Amino acid sequence: MTDTVRRFAWGAARLAPIIVLLAAWEMFARSGAVTPFMLPALSAVAERIYDDAAGGDLFLNIGVTVYRALAGFAIAAVGGVVLGAAMARNRAARWFFDPVISVGFPMPKIAFLPVIILWLGLYDVSKITMVVLDAIFPVVTATVAGIASVEKELVWTARNMGAKNRELLWQILLPAALPQILTGLQVALPIALIVVVVTEMQMGGYGLGGAMMQASRFANSRGVFAGIVEIAVIGYALVAAMAWLRRRLLAWHQEAQGATGV
Amino acid sequence: MSDPAQIIVEDVSHHYRPAVGREVLALENVSLQVQEREFLALLGPSGCGKSTLLYLIGGFLPIGTGKILVDSKAVAGPGPDRGIVFQNFALFPWKTVRKNVLYGLERQALPRHERETRAQAFIDLVGLTGFEESYPSQLSGGMKQRVAIARTLAFDPRILLMDEPFGALDAQTRSLMQGELLAIWEKTRKTVIFVTHDVHEAVYLAERVAVMTARPGRIKTIVDTRFDKDDPEVHRTRAFVDKVDEVWNLVRDEAVKALEKRPP
Amino acid sequence: MTVAPATKAAAPNVLVRYSPLLIHALAWEAAARLHLVSSLALPPLTDVVQAWVELVASGELVSNGLSSLYRAGAGLALAIAVGSALGIFMAISRPVNAMLGPLVELFYPMPKSALIPVTVLWLGFGDGSKILLIFLGCMLPVTIGAYNGARGSDQHLIWSARSMGARGPRMIWDVVVPSALPELLNGVRTALALSFILLVSSELIVARQGLGNLIGYLGANGSYEAMFAVVLTVAFIGFLADRVYQAVVERALRWRE
Repeated sequence: MTDTVRRFAWGAARLAPIIVLLAAWEMFARSGAVTPFMLPALSAVAERIYDDAAGGDLFLNIGVTVYRALAGFAIAAVGGVVLGAAMARNRAARWFFDPVISVGFPMPKIAFLPVIILWLGLYDVSKITMVVLDAIFPVVTATVAGIASVEKELVWTARNMGAKNRELLWQILLPAALPQILTGLQVALPIALIVVVVTEMQMGGYGLGGAMMQASRFANSRGVFAGIVEIAVIGYALVAAMAWLRRRLLAWHQEAQGATGV
Repeated sequence: MSDPAQIIVEDVSHHYRPAVGREVLALENVSLQVQEREFLALLGPSGCGKSTLLYLIGGFLPIGTGKILVDSKAVAGPGPDRGIVFQNFALFPWKTVRKNVLYGLERQALPRHERETRAQAFIDLVGLTGFEESYPSQLSGGMKQRVAIARTLAFDPRILLMDEPFGALDAQTRSLMQGELLAIWEKTRKTVIFVTHDVHEAVYLAERVAVMTARPGRIKTIVDTRFDKDDPEVHRTRAFVDKVDEVWNLVRDEAVKALEKRPP
Repeated sequence: MTVAPATKAAAPNVLVRYSPLLIHALAWEAAARLHLVSSLALPPLTDVVQAWVELVASGELVSNGLSSLYRAGAGLALAIAVGSALGIFMAISRPVNAMLGPLVELFYPMPKSALIPVTVLWLGFGDGSKILLIFLGCMLPVTIGAYNGARGSDQHLIWSARSMGARGPRMIWDVVVPSALPELLNGVRTALALSFILLVSSELIVARQGLGNLIGYLGANGSYEAMFAVVLTVAFIGFLADRVYQAVVERALRWRE
């Protein structure tokens, strides 16, 4: 009984600052210290979101943005793990790709957006390609590091029992590297979202980014703030989903250590 | 002794290159023979190359100079005829106890029912009945090592290579595990090569103890250590104590040398 | 039968490591010259280099570059200052942590690029909006790094310091900050990369000056060689900044060890 009460109290304590923030927002906006343009009231923004939802626009935009982000993320995830595994096991692959990864990682790849648009046009393909370009790097790095750090005794044990190279990769190396690979994926997901939003802002059209940019052009500050709230919620939901997935997949790992943070 | 020894190591030397610094000679002209079903201990100070020798026999390291024959065939790589047990257990953390034990069996062409039965039999043998669905992270050190042993025994290797398997366990657990290992060996009668730096453990468990020199490792002497292991008081007998002394004296000089030879 | 990646021998390390890039560069040049790809889509590397030289000579690259770097630098500096202070206070004061922790967790997954329209709304197209954007966006990684680093401060170190009479600000400065440094600096590294992303993004979309804007302008104009030249310059600056940062951090942390 006390356990449930405690958990409830804990949850409430964590929500409290957020509620305080929202309340403060509303009060500050109404106070007249800033114009409604600079800071529209929370209630006004909520009204705007409600209107969008009723009109169907909200779900369309969310759907499009999430689709692009997840499509790019999925490609980056699979491609990144494949490339990372190849680099970890094959010396030639590592030699060839290592500088690309190492040099490319800290580059603001968003600078290549105009080039991508030049090559691939103005539709979803370019947006998704940009996401893949940005999100693949942390996945590759995490996979290479994860596989390289597998204890040699695990590899030797598997070989001892007759495992061949391909079996070794799928049955031993990837599962053993999973915690680190998942961390890489957890880094890649927010990146995918940031990039999608930027590409949508640049190229316009449907999507949360495009809608926000539109609102901005019309100096519609409610629309801009509504967009921020919507994207923040989507971002939070996706990251939380990823964290949940991690806990499920690594149940065996969790026993040994405590709960992981963000 | 008319049959050739099961394991023949002849004039094996081994170099390894550490991440920084020059090549190091780990083993120098090591020669050794192990009979079938024998329990042999490799004893020596840290860094003497005893684990390296084990890994060479196991086929995990490439053989440079010299040759190693197992059942009259040259060693070309790891294989299920020489099962290995590591000090840090090397259990697959994402698999349950049962799945760990099954892994080696799945590599062999056995029907499913038989695999399951064998796995269960060995889990029972090491005293872990009831823990089949546990994950390694939920087990104590002693239990993990038992899983490792069950796992290696399950695919029925003719030879058992053990690399300081009880080194990570506390003293009481170690003592218990030694007794259990002897019981298992007596029941399954495999050839065992057991690496350790603990003199007492070597004399107690093995039939012969090969004492190695400090690096570069060579076989210094081989001492006969057959005792009546069924006697629970064997540790206290005069013969046993004298034997431990004898072996300890052989090792001590090497231990001192190993200490003096610390890398710069 | 290799068990783990072999470590490379010391000597011609850098050359060997980056040599594949030469191959990529040659492949680029060949593909363009041999018309394997339309020279519109991929101008030959040599043409791009030439355009780069012209941009430098005309001063366009430098003036826009300085504008961009000023914005990023200012925003980042503010983010580091405020973020680290915030993170450290959250680590040492439980009430502050209770108040701000959930907020940090709430805003962490939000794509910082979503702030672009609102900063423009508030401060227009100029430097101010970019600096504000980078400040707000980069503050979070720094805060989290500082927090994690300060949290890890060895309790015994703190007790020792206290027993020697250290109190309040002095103790924070002497004990907490140094042990928080590695994680904090790691957070700053993330913030550095993020600042470039936010800078280029916002300049591509809404700006009158700056490298991002230059890229867009050249692209719209059809001067693709020049566009590529600036894109590569920006990418290279981002890369260089990270490398230099790592080298500086390594030096700084070394004599703390």
